Amino acid sequence: MARTKGQQAGSVLGGATGTPAVSVSRVTRRFSDLVAVDELSFEVRPGEIFGLLGPNGAGKTTTIHLITGLLRRDGGEVQVLGSDPETDARRVRQQIGYVPQETNVYLDLSAVDNLWHHAALYCQELSGVARRMDDLLHLVDLWDRRKDPVGAFSGGMKRRLALARALLHDPELILFDEPTLGVDVQARHVLWEHVRSQQAEGKTFIISTNDMAEADALCERVLIIDHGRAIALNCPEALKADLGRDIVTLRTSPTVQDPARLFGGLGVQAISRTEPDQLRLEVRDAESIVGALLARVTADHRLESVRIARPTLDDVFLHYTGRALRE
Amino acid sequence: MARFRLLLRNELRLFRTAVPIHAVALLQPTILYLLMSTILVHPTFEMNVAWPTTEAGDRLLEAMSHVGSPIGLPYIEPVIVPFDGGPVARQVVVVEDQGGHPVAVQHFGLIDSNLVKNYRNRLTAAGLRLWNEALDGRAVSVEERAWLPHDMPYNIYFGMALLPMTVFVAASFLGAILVAQEFEFQTILEYRLAPLSPAWILAARLTRLLLLALLSAVILSVVVGLRSDAWPDLPWLVVLILVPVALIAGCLGMLAGLLLRRSIPAFLVGLVASFAGWVMGSGFGLAAGFGGWYERLSRLTPFTHAVELIFPRYFGAVIGRPALSVAYLLLVSAAMLVLTAVAYRWRVVRQA
Repeated sequence: MARTKGQQAGSVLGGATGTPAVSVSRVTRRFSDLVAVDELSFEVRPGEIFGLLGPNGAGKTTTIHLITGLLRRDGGEVQVLGSDPETDARRVRQQIGYVPQETNVYLDLSAVDNLWHHAALYCQELSGVARRMDDLLHLVDLWDRRKDPVGAFSGGMKRRLALARALLHDPELILFDEPTLGVDVQARHVLWEHVRSQQAEGKTFIISTNDMAEADALCERVLIIDHGRAIALNCPEALKADLGRDIVTLRTSPTVQDPARLFGGLGVQAISRTEPDQLRLEVRDAESIVGALLARVTADHRLESVRIARPTLDDVFLHYTGRALRE
Repeated sequence: MARFRLLLRNELRLFRTAVPIHAVALLQPTILYLLMSTILVHPTFEMNVAWPTTEAGDRLLEAMSHVGSPIGLPYIEPVIVPFDGGPVARQVVVVEDQGGHPVAVQHFGLIDSNLVKNYRNRLTAAGLRLWNEALDGRAVSVEERAWLPHDMPYNIYFGMALLPMTVFVAASFLGAILVAQEFEFQTILEYRLAPLSPAWILAARLTRLLLLALLSAVILSVVVGLRSDAWPDLPWLVVLILVPVALIAGCLGMLAGLLLRRSIPAFLVGLVASFAGWVMGSGFGLAAGFGGWYERLSRLTPFTHAVELIFPRYFGAVIGRPALSVAYLLLVSAAMLVLTAVAYRWRVVRQA
């Protein structure tokens, strides 16, 4: 049932199969003179963790609000699980769970009371709610704190509760806005695990983030947005690979005298000597040739250090927009 | 019904999000009643009288104890005190002989003109009684032809007229603040995306406001009863009369919360509406007793209609036009419900 990230990414990119969970087609949304979303198009496959990556103000939250039906679009089409969130809002809302950027839980109520509050508003059937609530509280590791006021929870615990709440009515699609904003590193990984475990249950996630590490670690495909426009869409590895090359830095003793001859035939695109004993090699895919590179070096030299630098999503964003993600 | 019960249970749990506001909303009018009934609204005045040393003084003291409504409480409770000519606390009556004529001298302390009037009128009434006795009943006689067969003690009227106010305060305060808080804490998003029909949500919230408002009225009526021994003959009917008042107030509070989306301004709307409505709406006396523009204005508020409908339950006499008052309360309740539903749709459900 569970899919690995690589497998999922491959299947998603391998070709269009089945009805998309979410289809956004040439959608535009304006706020007065500001075009927050501009002719945006993308599709999210069922069971996918899909990332919306962009700086603050890029239009990520607006896009999520258009998908939930909180906002009306000025143009274009949106289909969520086969329904239009504007004209068939109730049907869409029964099938989606939304975790907003600001954790909007009742701080004076307990975790259980917050979940009951949600159940009354969202669950079509109330008969199995108590059992599902127990399961979810166990899942997000809040069972022992279920009766405590949420105001006493840490940021990570509140986010986990918000996730449990969004899952309570068993939605097919979960929209998670900035999942780990203000959450410490350890709690981030816990949250990511919860998201992955729910994906394994067949849930589809759309995650909005300006955190490259989060998008990289969690998302199978990433849509990079800037100024409301789609910049690039692919799996993170492919986006980075599309930039063209990795950098391999080698420090040897003694110095390699003729690197062009030594590394000939391995697909090295460029070689430069950055230090007397240090070489900088530009390669298409370092992972695939690093073994051969090292074998040739170590035949006649002692390898002091090797460093492989791969492009980050920030490099991707920089490549497409000319500025860094957090500028 | 299971869903409604769950919604209502959740609504009642939200009490924990605003405990002080609930305490104020539930108890403030009762505390106001206790204070006001202690310091202001009692027809029987304690009047200090210097120990009488003459026959005229004895007769005045006797006359004072007979001043009052023939169908109600005495107006004077004489209290004999020593008097040495120095400053007095509130008021002291001293009967002096001035040139062979008995003169009742009223010494006043630092009290306002209204209290001076009250003391002076009471003493004048006692003097008039003596004068009439001296002339063997040939002076002016005063008859009281009351509309009711018994006196209407003001502390009971005041408590009764506070009943609509207490439900209005509770429902409007809580309705305003709880809705505004949903916007401030962003929990409103839970409602914005909820697939459940808004009718359920509004029904649960209004029921919660209604229950708390009626609870505040029960608390007040029990306190009025314990303090004044005045109990409505049909308590359930009083509760029924207060239901539309609570609905109107709850809707007004929710409207304020929905439109203003901030606790303090929404709270102020509830506060101003409650107190202005109470003052204008027969809070200190029946509107018909004032007449003119006050009565016309008063009848625009739900308070006057509620007071006139509750009045028979405490005093045994029908006043005003009950059918008109019932129609007013029902129509305004319905209109407020519609307005609240529209505002909820506009502020919460509508896609922006």
